Amino acid sequence: MSELSVKHLLGIKYLNEKDIQLIFETADHFKEVINRSIKKVPSLRDITIANIFFENSTRTKLSFELAEKRLSADVINFSAGQSSVKKGETLIDTVNNILSMKVDMVVMRHPNPGAGIFLSKHVKASIVNAGDGAHEHPTQALLDSYSIREKLGDVGGKNVVIVGDILHSRVALSNIFALKLQGANVKVCGPRTLLPKYIESLGVGVETDLRKALNWCDVANMLRIQNERLDISYFPTTREYTQQFGVNKKLLDSLDKKIVIMHPGPINRGVEITTDVADSQQSIILNQVENGVAIRMAVIYLLASKIK
Amino acid sequence: MNILLKSAIIIDQTQKDLHLKKRDIWIKNGKIAKIASKIEAESSTKVIQLENLHVSIGWFDSSVSFGEPGFEDRETIENGLLTASKSGFTQIVLNPNVQPVPDSNSDIVFLKNASKDAATELYPLGTMTMKAEGNDLAELYDMKNAGAVGFYDFKSPVDNGNLLKIALQYTQNFKGLVYSFPMDKKIAGKGIVNEGEVSTKLGLKGIPSLAEELQIIRDLFILEYAGGRLHIPTISTSNSVKLIADAKKKGLNVTCSVAIHNLFFTDSCLEEFDSLFKVLPPLRTEKDTKALMKGLKDGTIDFVTSDHTPLNIEEKRVEFDNAEYGSLGLESSFGVMNKLFGTETAIELLSKGREVYGLDIPELKEGEKANLTIFNPEKKFTPAEENLSSTSKNSMYLGKSLKGIVYGTINNGKAVLN
Repeated sequence: MSELSVKHLLGIKYLNEKDIQLIFETADHFKEVINRSIKKVPSLRDITIANIFFENSTRTKLSFELAEKRLSADVINFSAGQSSVKKGETLIDTVNNILSMKVDMVVMRHPNPGAGIFLSKHVKASIVNAGDGAHEHPTQALLDSYSIREKLGDVGGKNVVIVGDILHSRVALSNIFALKLQGANVKVCGPRTLLPKYIESLGVGVETDLRKALNWCDVANMLRIQNERLDISYFPTTREYTQQFGVNKKLLDSLDKKIVIMHPGPINRGVEITTDVADSQQSIILNQVENGVAIRMAVIYLLASKIK
Repeated sequence: MNILLKSAIIIDQTQKDLHLKKRDIWIKNGKIAKIASKIEAESSTKVIQLENLHVSIGWFDSSVSFGEPGFEDRETIENGLLTASKSGFTQIVLNPNVQPVPDSNSDIVFLKNASKDAATELYPLGTMTMKAEGNDLAELYDMKNAGAVGFYDFKSPVDNGNLLKIALQYTQNFKGLVYSFPMDKKIAGKGIVNEGEVSTKLGLKGIPSLAEELQIIRDLFILEYAGGRLHIPTISTSNSVKLIADAKKKGLNVTCSVAIHNLFFTDSCLEEFDSLFKVLPPLRTEKDTKALMKGLKDGTIDFVTSDHTPLNIEEKRVEFDNAEYGSLGLESSFGVMNKLFGTETAIELLSKGREVYGLDIPELKEGEKANLTIFNPEKKFTPAEENLSSTSKNSMYLGKSLKGIVYGTINNGKAVLN
């Protein structure tokens, strides 16, 4: 049986193309499972997983927890915020405390880039990165690519534009790595202030005209404007942002072709996309959420099989 | 003291008749008593005969941090100076990287007293402002009288241009040396590594080269207006070299240094988020290292420094964002410089800079005070944690293959041998 080339899922850039194919094929199977009347398999009865979230999350945490439970793993949750750091406990200590209770796998979200990689070098457990600062969010990128594959048959050769705050986005970065690895063409679009100056070094194009970007693409991945992450103002008002980079139905209908609309959620309706776009036939936003569970089941299952 | 160096190859480009010659050197009572092809040892003489023994004047480092007072767990003055001696440095300038910061005469006196018995001489910097807070000037004249060789709010940029202007003006009558760390804080923002391809790929916030260059150009204009002596410590970008070169052509009284790690490493080392490589200014690109090397060779950059910064494990073994800036450097300086530049240039560069701090340049001559470093430039070595003399172990050179080892130093009538 094939297995992943890695022991942890720390980022897309540590995976190869075969890994992604294996995750997708495994997810196909689990997607079928979660649509059965009994949505559960006993595969990971002997595995305990800790979901450690140092940053707020609703859907990612829910999605991971559901994926773990559908695999019959034992699950514990730990939400720290910044408080335990303030109390002076180091990340290694926090995680080692949890691991002492015989935990096999850690799913971690953390505000600092590279936190998962750092942890993987200092603790004995399989680590799944559920978002580390502005670095990576690999399961999100996997489920995004999986959703494109489901909708369009393949990711290779497709034109994908990522719109919004690229500068602060781990979703953008992981998506760029994943899409490039599968042979897609990628552009980023947004105000210059929210595009990293050296983004083209990653092999992606830059387009600051939204209409041009949408006319070029097969898929538009609309990122959320993360106001809570912005330490200074990168654009004057959200109103002005929407004027330039928001997608509404009128714009969508005026394009030369029917493009696919994606969004990692949560949506700021009326900012990056309007309600009628989010709920349109072209949107696969809810498919992404469903696929998220299947993808996370696949990742956890494949990593757990390496522990055994 | 009565030491005979046997068959030592002299590296001293200022003396054509001795440079690269093999000689015996007899050191008695702290002075070079005799240099000759063959010297017979007295019975009380300690003979030093080592493989491929080379000798030069003692080396100098303009940017060294220890931890005393306040951070003794990082490094003490005693062990720090011992490490410097073992690393070939007979004179070092100590950064005000302690707590409380040295911002008064008595703080400088403490540092001088705590170091007076060591083989390696310590020349402290005082802070430029009270408590290094960047608001009001500290008592610079009084600190200078106590032995401070310059004024520096350690790695903290002078935000207020007017304050720099005043410091440069105020220090003129007593020839004080004013430091300005080259970083515009607003442009640097929350950056912690070089802004470029690597920071983009890693999602780490970048410090644009612009942050350094903008501050340097501001400082040079202020210097041109105010006069005085300005030192810009540890530049890191190719454009900074150009800016300084232009300023020197104009005749401005500016000096600058570069950290050895900014010559040896680039930001590609950060791929694994290893906090040992987190330094300030950050590791830049190959284009920058090349320009810095060139700037050193043509004299635009006045001298190199190890920028030795001991940090304990708790300050480094954390998430990259939360780790402190800095690396050990003293113990690897020669191995790196020798590998990068070859022995003669490495020794020349490691000996430069004393005049900026008003120190006499040692001479390798009969009758002169013995201020010497002995080494073997051919022996390869790889720094390992267990072999470090430093109290802290945060060296970015661990596991790197270097060339050249230091046997020890002789200074102030003391010999420190590895």
